[in-house]
Amino acid sequence: MTEEKLQRVKFFEFLTDEERSEFMEGAEPAMFEAGEEIISEGEESSSLFVLTSGQVEVRKKILGDRDRLLAEIDADGEPTVVGERGLLGRSGASATVRAAGRVEAIRIPREAFRRMISEGRPAAFKLSYRIARTLAHRLTRLDEEVVEAIRDLERRGETDLEAFRDRLITEWTV
Amino acid sequence: MPQTPSLDGIPLFERLSPDERDEMAEVMEPASFGAGAFIYAEGGPEETLYVITSGAVEVHKQVLPGRRHHLATVQAPTVVGEMGLLTEPRAAASVTAKTPVEAHGIARDQLLEMLDEDSLAACKLVHEIGRTLAERMARTDESVAGIIARLERRNARADHDPDIFSDRLLGEWGF
Repeated sequence: MTEEKLQRVKFFEFLTDEERSEFMEGAEPAMFEAGEEIISEGEESSSLFVLTSGQVEVRKKILGDRDRLLAEIDADGEPTVVGERGLLGRSGASATVRAAGRVEAIRIPREAFRRMISEGRPAAFKLSYRIARTLAHRLTRLDEEVVEAIRDLERRGETDLEAFRDRLITEWTV
Repeated sequence: MPQTPSLDGIPLFERLSPDERDEMAEVMEPASFGAGAFIYAEGGPEETLYVITSGAVEVHKQVLPGRRHHLATVQAPTVVGEMGLLTEPRAAASVTAKTPVEAHGIARDQLLEMLDEDSLAACKLVHEIGRTLAERMARTDESVAGIIARLERRNARADHDPDIFSDRLLGEWGF
């Protein structure tokens, strides 16, 4: 049954039925009640979640205790993937994903994914390619927005922007 | 006859079997750039991915009119053109050779074709690229969080209204 759910996810469309079954071997169903954290900001996010029903909120701490709502995702209409960066990277999650009601999901743990990579399984590398593409598109948009923000700030004639902008720019990698 | 590139010792190819390395070597062309030469010009085409095996490259972007900002200096071994591969073949920044640079080029179209055909060699290469992008995404997120925090602090002090673009930045968040 879980496998059928996986089939409905656009993210996994590129896999053959057989490859989808390979992922399901290492996957497990997960259920979250309202308020529970699926991914916690700052913690090493260790799994990819395919949300198959329910709603989640994505929040990020900006100043001290204040957190900002970044997005609301409704998985009832269409299953959605969160936490994909955690499969490839080592850094902690940059935002919290919290269940807004009861949420059903399929969890693909990083260990299962890494095992498939070390076994040289094509399904895992195909997933990597998709994740890399998603990340590259987001990075491009973010970089463009950051450049726009710098230009906006410059137009406002701020005086102490130099250091701030330099810091921003040093973080830029190719 | 172009020389067959040696892919030993290049991190990007570590996971590839000898056969897969041969498969990649077949589609790679050696390339060299003199110090100061453009590998990509900002806004120009990015149709080739270069695996840089020796030398150093510099990355510049025109952030404000008339001023070129130095974004990074990167030493070999490294790869450039990976964003062009995975998004649009247009350079978001200029990449120039800082020293004489030796590289292997792979045509973007050819690599995309291999990926479409599920070439395991090509997918393994992109897996390594994906790992570096995941880390870069994490750093970019932090930078953007820094911008937003700063804007909000200023907002708390005065009657500026930075909400418009802080909201825009937030809208592009990757998590």
